[in-house]
Amino acid sequence: MAPLGRAALLLAFGLVAYALIAGSYAAWKRRRRLALSAQNALLAAFPAALVAAIVLIVALARRNLTFVYVWQHTSKKLPLGYALSAFWGGQEGSLLLWLLVLTGYAGLAVLLNRRSRELMAWTVPVFALVAGFFALMLCFVSSPFNVQPAPPDGRGMVPSLQNPYMLAHPPLLYLGYVGLTVPFAFAMGALLSGRTDERWIVATRRWTLAAWTFLGVGQLIGAHWAYVEIGWGGYYAWDPVENAALMPWLAATAFLHSVMIQEKRGMLKVWNMVLVALAFNLSLFGTFLTRSGVINSIHSFSESSLGAWFLGFIVLMTVVSVTLIRWRLPLLRTKTKLESLVSREATFLYNNLLLVALCLTILWGVLYPILSEAVRGETRSVSKPYYDFFLHTFGLPLLLLMGIGPLVAWRRASLRSLGRTFLIPFTVAVATGVVLLVLGFGSSWPGLVTYTFSAFVAASIVLEFVRGRAATGSLRRLVARNRRRYGGYIVHASVVLLAIGIAGSSAYQTVRERVVRPGQSLEAAGYTLTYLGSSGIRGPNYTGFRAAIAVTGHGERFTLHPGMNDYNIEGPANEASIYHDPRSLGDVFTTAQIATGNQIDLKVEVKPLINLIWVAGFVFVAGALIAMWPDAVEQRRLAARYAAGAAPAGI
Amino acid sequence: MAAALAVFVVYTALAGNGVAQLTPSTLAGHSGDVTLVGAVVGKTHGDSYAKGGMRFRLKDVQGKSAARVPVVYHGSVPDLFKTGRHVVVEGTLRNGVFVAKPGSLVTKCPSKYAPAKSAKT
Repeated sequence: MAPLGRAALLLAFGLVAYALIAGSYAAWKRRRRLALSAQNALLAAFPAALVAAIVLIVALARRNLTFVYVWQHTSKKLPLGYALSAFWGGQEGSLLLWLLVLTGYAGLAVLLNRRSRELMAWTVPVFALVAGFFALMLCFVSSPFNVQPAPPDGRGMVPSLQNPYMLAHPPLLYLGYVGLTVPFAFAMGALLSGRTDERWIVATRRWTLAAWTFLGVGQLIGAHWAYVEIGWGGYYAWDPVENAALMPWLAATAFLHSVMIQEKRGMLKVWNMVLVALAFNLSLFGTFLTRSGVINSIHSFSESSLGAWFLGFIVLMTVVSVTLIRWRLPLLRTKTKLESLVSREATFLYNNLLLVALCLTILWGVLYPILSEAVRGETRSVSKPYYDFFLHTFGLPLLLLMGIGPLVAWRRASLRSLGRTFLIPFTVAVATGVVLLVLGFGSSWPGLVTYTFSAFVAASIVLEFVRGRAATGSLRRLVARNRRRYGGYIVHASVVLLAIGIAGSSAYQTVRERVVRPGQSLEAAGYTLTYLGSSGIRGPNYTGFRAAIAVTGHGERFTLHPGMNDYNIEGPANEASIYHDPRSLGDVFTTAQIATGNQIDLKVEVKPLINLIWVAGFVFVAGALIAMWPDAVEQRRLAARYAAGAAPAGI
Repeated sequence: MAAALAVFVVYTALAGNGVAQLTPSTLAGHSGDVTLVGAVVGKTHGDSYAKGGMRFRLKDVQGKSAARVPVVYHGSVPDLFKTGRHVVVEGTLRNGVFVAKPGSLVTKCPSKYAPAKSAKT
């Protein structure tokens, strides 16, 4: 088995190396047949990577402990689903997943865009370069096919990773990270070939949307996993590894907005190239962070030999991107100028600046320990207050712009038309703010501002749908005629839900903690929690206890059972018990730890509106799917625009 | 962009100075609030909800330093806390004892990417 996996990886490496060398030579010398041969080699790399992946999957399913990788990440008692999820649970497996997804994406992109010969000529070698790096790592630095004499059992999997969310969270993030390679490869291909018009953007728009959606959903699932499984009551800790996924998502969000300006007005060509390179390099940086051990993270990824390789590759890709953009600056410069600071393109530009500023300040926070050590000789780190400050400073104006941008006219908007357009959203926002202030929500100004801005954005989205429906006569027809625009509005609605959920659950949460004995109670936000007693429990590989907590309040009566599991090998773990209130969309989140004797330490967190965060995930996916759904009208329009040459195809 | 930079500079000048992140071997001589990163060594004593708190010692995660820092901690004990585990805790060094802020103890996730160790067959 292992030799087959190794052979498949070597074959994949050989194929992408050929695609890189032959493809580059063919593009340089304009050899059409050689370019086709390079494309075919890239296509063939996917089946080779697939064979390697199947070998590893079979080894995991059989718990073949002669594979060092299988021994490290599974055990004989581990359920099959979790054993298979070990495929992305370790370094070598996740590299193989990266190669598999990348060669799959690259192959599909080649098949869909073969007619765009000039664009693809250089895109194929860029794909091959990235795939070649991962294949190189897998063949010569970090192989999943190392073998050993079979030990009696494996080392098992961390209990918190034995969770259904972990079956989806990492692969979705990988689909997102790797997906950002597609727009990057096309962008660099466009620069190398000199075809810097909008074709590469049209060819990759849906790829970018798909990658961005995967990254967004992957992060939300990770947040929900942290909330229900880790037992600390939160869902995002500004940890470097979490930030590593957020940063490319922010850069991709900026890119998805700014490409619209390039498509509509032919502006921001340089900026779009910079954003696509930034998003791709940040996705590599995320992988570097998790493998280098250079940054202290609660995820505790250990130092491995891959760190230096990744750092070298990031430097190479950054230098290549910057050099190519500088080289093609004359082609990228456009004559179209911003006509007014009050126009839709201007609001998109503000949105971009805020997104990139937020992304870079997070990057600064992540790199701060390394930089402070280099400059001051002492490692220092920034924490939640730093990130919260910038989230408020850049995030709140971003939220407001989401409501302003879509309502402002292209090119130039007059103050009179703005007054007419914004009268209803503005009135709704002010009324919401005043009512909330009267109701006592002024205890947190970021919370109050978030709610007020959210009301403004929600009103502007509803207004757009109402106006559109009046013009077309049907909501369905309205969305079908402009999926991208109305899908985008639905995504905006999901961000509003997300903002309200985050504000409600953080700015207006109530936290109480107390050591209680049976019969004693704790009050929190109108709920009374009474500790009834505890009972012991026993699982296959742990013992533990569950407390019985009777809860009354807000017309509800229910019982929660927080407690702890003490795993034989891994140690103790909190088991939170959560009540989801269907009326308020909030949660009563409880944890309990044994204090002394029959006393427990009971912690309760009442989190208003937190479930809106998870609802936002579904709305986000719905909006993204609508926006990326194939649109025949749009395809005809693009075909007409690029009548002189073959129109590139999206997915 | 200039506005964003201005906000950033003002913030970092006023408040964003960061907290020192130290290991047991580099902690000596620091009197302010710091973040201590280390591995739990030896037995854990006491109860984090009792007046005396939970007491344990930390050593450097890497290297061969003999430095051991006693820690006293109150509040919730995080998942998977036990001897040998790598932890992060905030607090202040007082009279040779690291007095942790209540609830600041974080256990690092045992790594999915831990370096390979040979199996004992």
